[in-house]
Amino acid sequence: MTTLPRRSLLLAGATLPLLRRPARAQSTPDTLRFGLSAWPPNLQPWASTGASAGTVKLLIHRSLVSYDSQGELRGELAESWSHEDDGAWVFRLRRNAVFHNGEPVTADDIKWTLEQIAGERSTAYMRAQFQRVERIETPDAHTLRLVTKEPVATLPHWFGGYNMAMVWRKSAPNEPVGAGPYRLTGQERGSSLELTAFDRFYKPGLPRLKRIRFVVYADENLRAAALQSGDVDMIEYVPWQSMAAVESDPALKLDAVDGPFMDVLFNGTRGPFADARVRRAVAHAIRREDIVKTAFFGRGSPLEGVPIPRGTPWYDEQLAHGWNYDPARAKALLAEAGHPDGFQTTLLATAQFGMHKDTAEVVQQHLAAIGIQCELRLPDWSTRVSLGTRGQYEIAIHGTTAENNDPDGLSSVLDTTLSPSHGRSFGVQAPRTAALLAQGRAEFDPQKRVATYKDMQRAALEEVPMVGLAWRSQGYGMKRNVQGFANLPGALTTLSGTQLETAAFA
Amino acid sequence: MAWILRRIGVSLILAWLVASIVFMTLHLVPGDPAELLLSTGGIMPDPGAVAELRDRLGLNDPLLVQYGGFLRGLTRGDLGNSLIDDYPVLAEVALRLPRTLELIFAGAILAIVVALPAGTYAALHRGGAFDRVASGLAALLLAVPVFVVGTLLILMLAQWLRVMPAGGYVPFADNPGRHLALLALPALTIAKGLAAVLFRMTRASVLDALSRDHVRTARAKGLTPRGVLVRHVVRNALIPVLTVLGLHMGTLLGGTVLVEYVFNWPGLSTPLLRAVEARDYPMVVGIVLTISGLFLLINLIMDLLYAALDPRIRAA
Repeated sequence: MTTLPRRSLLLAGATLPLLRRPARAQSTPDTLRFGLSAWPPNLQPWASTGASAGTVKLLIHRSLVSYDSQGELRGELAESWSHEDDGAWVFRLRRNAVFHNGEPVTADDIKWTLEQIAGERSTAYMRAQFQRVERIETPDAHTLRLVTKEPVATLPHWFGGYNMAMVWRKSAPNEPVGAGPYRLTGQERGSSLELTAFDRFYKPGLPRLKRIRFVVYADENLRAAALQSGDVDMIEYVPWQSMAAVESDPALKLDAVDGPFMDVLFNGTRGPFADARVRRAVAHAIRREDIVKTAFFGRGSPLEGVPIPRGTPWYDEQLAHGWNYDPARAKALLAEAGHPDGFQTTLLATAQFGMHKDTAEVVQQHLAAIGIQCELRLPDWSTRVSLGTRGQYEIAIHGTTAENNDPDGLSSVLDTTLSPSHGRSFGVQAPRTAALLAQGRAEFDPQKRVATYKDMQRAALEEVPMVGLAWRSQGYGMKRNVQGFANLPGALTTLSGTQLETAAFA
Repeated sequence: MAWILRRIGVSLILAWLVASIVFMTLHLVPGDPAELLLSTGGIMPDPGAVAELRDRLGLNDPLLVQYGGFLRGLTRGDLGNSLIDDYPVLAEVALRLPRTLELIFAGAILAIVVALPAGTYAALHRGGAFDRVASGLAALLLAVPVFVVGTLLILMLAQWLRVMPAGGYVPFADNPGRHLALLALPALTIAKGLAAVLFRMTRASVLDALSRDHVRTARAKGLTPRGVLVRHVVRNALIPVLTVLGLHMGTLLGGTVLVEYVFNWPGLSTPLLRAVEARDYPMVVGIVLTISGLFLLINLIMDLLYAALDPRIRAA
């Protein structure tokens, strides 16, 4: 009877050689292994399917412009652009750009692309914007003239996003041919994508890496673990709780910026929140530091005004704290609005994303302190989106990013005259804010734009189309020897994918 | 023969019921797949684009029309295409089901290899040090949730010791060594609960067999202890253990969700989870139908086997 235990030990030992096997895939100097936070739902060039898809799209495709590491517009397929006296925006295309099939990039391709984006049957993210373009003219193969229905000072920014891929005009419907630095050369559905450098990319010497291999790690802790254990060379969305570990690891480095932000949205069609004074009371009632600490492990910063990034010309120290934490003032505003004893209401967020839920819980506590008792509603994200768009809520927590660092990029958040959306307050009256946003968009003089947007911030502080809560840190973690990549500042952080064309191992 | 046909017919009706219930419930839950897809990452889409996508995906058709289309596809063996990227649901299932099955089988083999000998040994030395430690360990393993075990394994073996990859998947054909290395931790995690159950079952079952009259008789006949153990104790003790194993294999099929998520193992549950979140109706229905189909198939085979063994069941 003594043979059995020995045999069972032998059998148990059989698994050990497996554990000793060299576990890590070797890193090679010409391939970057990049941990994505989500499998791109699809890679359609113009429909928005999230930032992870955007990162891949920015490498396969190119638009007329992109942003440099300082956040300034730079030429891509366009080498220069200007606003002509007759009101047209003119883009001059570079002559050495070719699509992946070798065809030259011409003004006709750009015109065709823009027509697809603005078309009646379009699902493009920029559809509404380009429907405001009255005419697209192509005086020659390398010049494009856009005439808009009303003047738009920020039009070049329209081309800066990741849903603006310029595609060869004779592409088959589901096989868009792009002109980016990489080609999609392989994929393991649901887990990885392989990009290979395009040898005729128009920037000499770029891209520097032969291959980029995207591996999906949906679980944020696993993504961080994959970076720390050396399974990948770089990851996006470093979870806030792991940022300190990445910083202190001698083999790794963190590149983080405050880009996206959290805010409170209101249903202005009924109940107490139709009154701007009640919305302002909410704005003064919340101690933002608690949100930064609780939801983001201190990785972010308080946001007590309209989300204008510090360091931009439109930033104003005083306006940036226009909704400072002041519970006494909040109570006074409530009393003034006829609710001296507060009231009961509901607060919508989602349990699917920890940061939404954590933010909601802090907001709930601080509102209770001034007498607004909120019952939390925490459905899954899908339900949250539906309820938001249909206005089936009282107040809601949301997290988003502006389109770009120009205040016009905040229109989608602040302009409540736009169509109902889960990311915008529902039916809130903020007419002066909307009017000033429109005024700034049509203004070409930089000085006047600054004045207009400061007025816009003043109007928003009173009308309260939303309440800013916190900037959250958006970080890329990478091996220390990964050089040439920069996390773009502010709202542009989700467009940092273009930077991978200059990334390389030192 | 008529009984078998009736039994198969019942299974088909059950499959249809499952598919219909899942289809209908999904459409009752709030959430619009078109709006969700275009809102990925908290982005605010243009309502025109959402309306156009809804139309393109056929989501504006009356529910009964959509249901009719779904049933027509089902009779042709077509589960439809994903609303997200138009990928055929059947192809997705064909790609991922083998990986989930591989994970389950690897876990089951690990569990069997550890639990059967350990259970037998513990029973033979009841009350001994090994029995007490192993029984305690089994209770602990049963109590700790899989995601805790999974996360701890990653923390210790991938992040601290750095001897194992943190997770992921490489096809066996591409790199067999790495494939197995990536399989090891999730399989171990899945195995832990099953191993604990099998250990207890084996131990109890062997103890029970040891006290049987025929074992005493065998010993009295002068058979070697080893012969008694292998031929008379373990063989009889295995029957209830195998029943439990069969039952648990079915449960594991639905229970790999957390393990696959924690280890980034691209099996069937990742797309199921993602499809539910994205309200990708055809994908959810297709995967649920596949899983319940497998359950029904196992049940059908079991029933047929029992019937073959015991004629009384056929009459019932």
